[in-house]
Amino acid sequence: MPVKYGVPSDPDYNERLAEFEARIHRGEKIEPGDWMPEEYRRQLIRMISQHAHSEVVGMLPEGAWITRAPTLKRKMILVAKVQDEAGHGQYLYHAAETLGVSREAMLEALLAGKAKYSSIFNYPTLTWADIGTIGWLVDGAAIKNQTMLAACSYGPYSRAMVRICAEETFHHKQGKEMVLLYAKGTPKQRQMAQDAINRWWWPALMMMGPHDKDSPNTEILTRWGIKTKSNDTVRQEFINEHAPEILEAGLTIPDPELRYDEKSGNWLHGPINWDEFWQVVGGNGPMNKERLEARRRAHAEGAWVREALEAYAAKQHKTAVAV
Amino acid sequence: MDTEWPRWEVFKQDTPNKPHQAVGSVHAADPQHALLTARNVFARRPQAVSMWVVRAEDVFSVTKEELLEANHEPQATGHKPQAFAAFRKTSHKRSMTFVDYVGEVEAASPEEALQKAQATFTDAEALAWWLVPAAKIVKSDPSPETIESWFAPAKDKTYKQQQYYATVGSHVSKHKGGRGVEDERSGEECASC
Repeated sequence: MPVKYGVPSDPDYNERLAEFEARIHRGEKIEPGDWMPEEYRRQLIRMISQHAHSEVVGMLPEGAWITRAPTLKRKMILVAKVQDEAGHGQYLYHAAETLGVSREAMLEALLAGKAKYSSIFNYPTLTWADIGTIGWLVDGAAIKNQTMLAACSYGPYSRAMVRICAEETFHHKQGKEMVLLYAKGTPKQRQMAQDAINRWWWPALMMMGPHDKDSPNTEILTRWGIKTKSNDTVRQEFINEHAPEILEAGLTIPDPELRYDEKSGNWLHGPINWDEFWQVVGGNGPMNKERLEARRRAHAEGAWVREALEAYAAKQHKTAVAV
Repeated sequence: MDTEWPRWEVFKQDTPNKPHQAVGSVHAADPQHALLTARNVFARRPQAVSMWVVRAEDVFSVTKEELLEANHEPQATGHKPQAFAAFRKTSHKRSMTFVDYVGEVEAASPEEALQKAQATFTDAEALAWWLVPAAKIVKSDPSPETIESWFAPAKDKTYKQQQYYATVGSHVSKHKGGRGVEDERSGEECASC
């Protein structure tokens, strides 16, 4: 497929850029094979591959609890959820591949520690209540972002997001149900749910990324219809939905400054600890090393499966040629 | 290091009355591996009766923009005509699928197949076309036993649907104006929540 990526030094760049932006303005999807600015492609690869890696690494904190789920029902739900995350990683790697980057190169970047993924997955899952809280808050935050990206201008990314959102809603609901049940449960269960909320609330707010004023890519991403809402807007939507629900459940939120603002209709939050965010992004979070180690180990331990599949395929091919 | 397996485009059919639709791709060492992987990646939820896979390199793809820009006139190839499966996208609406299967045409080259598809399937404007030699498509086994064993189990897993989870709580307005740090339990349940 001939793919055309334009750069500003092209003689027809400005003309083509105007056509491209007009298409986005009309709500058309840009598809593989269509002309696009090289910078549009670069931004998409950056975002989609980080997103794919997040799905893959995101299996680790939850996967650690599959063997310790309290009931068969909860275990089946968790297994299905972790399988979904694996599938979501595949949808997203596929979307990135349509921009001419290989899946292998993306995976190598992840294993080499060069690729970024969502900082939230570098926090540990200390109790079973963390599993419910991740579903409710972490997936809740992810869905807000993903719903916004489902409207994005690049066809393959948009389609992956629509598919992911449809499945992710179950992750959010099962988590919310679990935490609400614990909130109504024994004092010990309530305390466990509260402790999990206390630890995950702030990292969940950080998931939407830096404040708009500190987010240099937002302008171009918005102009080209990749993002349709800013980080702070998505974060506000998340808080407005989840803060009242957490309080309804009789739980508290670890932000003494959190309050409902009648005038704007928003729940306003206190200052976010961005030093912590940048520390975790920079590789110094509580679990960065363990996560990467676990990915590398899984890749190395799966080598014999890949070899067996290749040997089988080669044998089939030989038989077919002989026939 | 180039250890990457070939890429296969995946088509999923949700019900017998619907067309196969492009849903994404997988990497796999051989056709059966591709079908199995496709099933595990794209049919974890209900709504599937059949899957097709085809090597990405066997897909001839053009968008509306490309059709306006480049000449896709068929060249004489000397090849014998064969059946090509035609897939088409007709809407910019939000969707989780790309092109839909519309039917077959006989042609000696993908370019000729495109031309024939454009002349044959005229009921809607095409935003993108995929043409694939029909013989290159690998299909899941259509026997009822296989359909049952591949796709039916997902139907019983109702816990993968959000409707499975009823949630309760007091009304949101109760907390507006209050401070977030209060720890006051509410015994009320809201029927509408």
